[in-house]
Amino acid sequence: MANVADAAGEPIPTSSVLMAAAKHIEINCMPENVEFLKCKKKDPNPEKCLDKGRQATRCALGLLKDLYQRCKEPMEGYVGCMYYHTNEFDLCRKQQQAFEKACPLE
Amino acid sequence: MTEAVIRKKPGMASVKDMPLLQDGPPPGGFAPVRYARRIPNKGPSAIAIFLGAFGAFSYGMYQVGQGNKIRRALKEEKYAARRAILPVLQAEEDERFVKDWKKYLEYEAEVMKDVPGWKVGENVYNSGRWMPPATGELRPEVW
Repeated sequence: MANVADAAGEPIPTSSVLMAAAKHIEINCMPENVEFLKCKKKDPNPEKCLDKGRQATRCALGLLKDLYQRCKEPMEGYVGCMYYHTNEFDLCRKQQQAFEKACPLE
Repeated sequence: MTEAVIRKKPGMASVKDMPLLQDGPPPGGFAPVRYARRIPNKGPSAIAIFLGAFGAFSYGMYQVGQGNKIRRALKEEKYAARRAILPVLQAEEDERFVKDWKKYLEYEAEVMKDVPGWKVGENVYNSGRWMPPATGELRPEVW
């Protein structure tokens, strides 16, 4: 389960993929995430926040696909390392540096 | 008999006149032996020892603080990553829950369709807030 994408080239949002891309998601999808969290705080009913949730998911999955297309090799290395070490950031510093050099956090 | 042969003095009348053969000190006596204590009083003073211990302790505690700062930064990194992906996961769970909830509402409507006065559909608490279902029956394949 350590590969990033399935047969069609879409990244699978497993925990290691999401944690590897977490810093990018935090920066690029911040508005959608904040909107979703505000909606949830106002009313925890899942039926009321479905559309905002769909926006957040769309943003995150689109970002994953974009990252995968832009820097496939470093991302696969980083995700593989995260999978091996169960999402421990401190044990994957080398791959993290390579990934952030190839796809910078802007 | 052999003592008399060893310690013979010429002209000896009886054994009682043999010269003495004793283990004694050498002529002039032995050299003097020092038996007095001589513990030197040099080395660090009490204040120096206390300051040294206090200095080592404070250096150690400073290193503990630095280590805690580093560990806190690592934990913050992990928590920030979890916060970033929380909306994605919650949105997925919401979709799944809404699908199951609709199916459950249909089942409830079918079961209670002959009961008069049963407001089919939602029948939760009176406070107006949404509470998660407490029955525990919505995901029998998990529990």
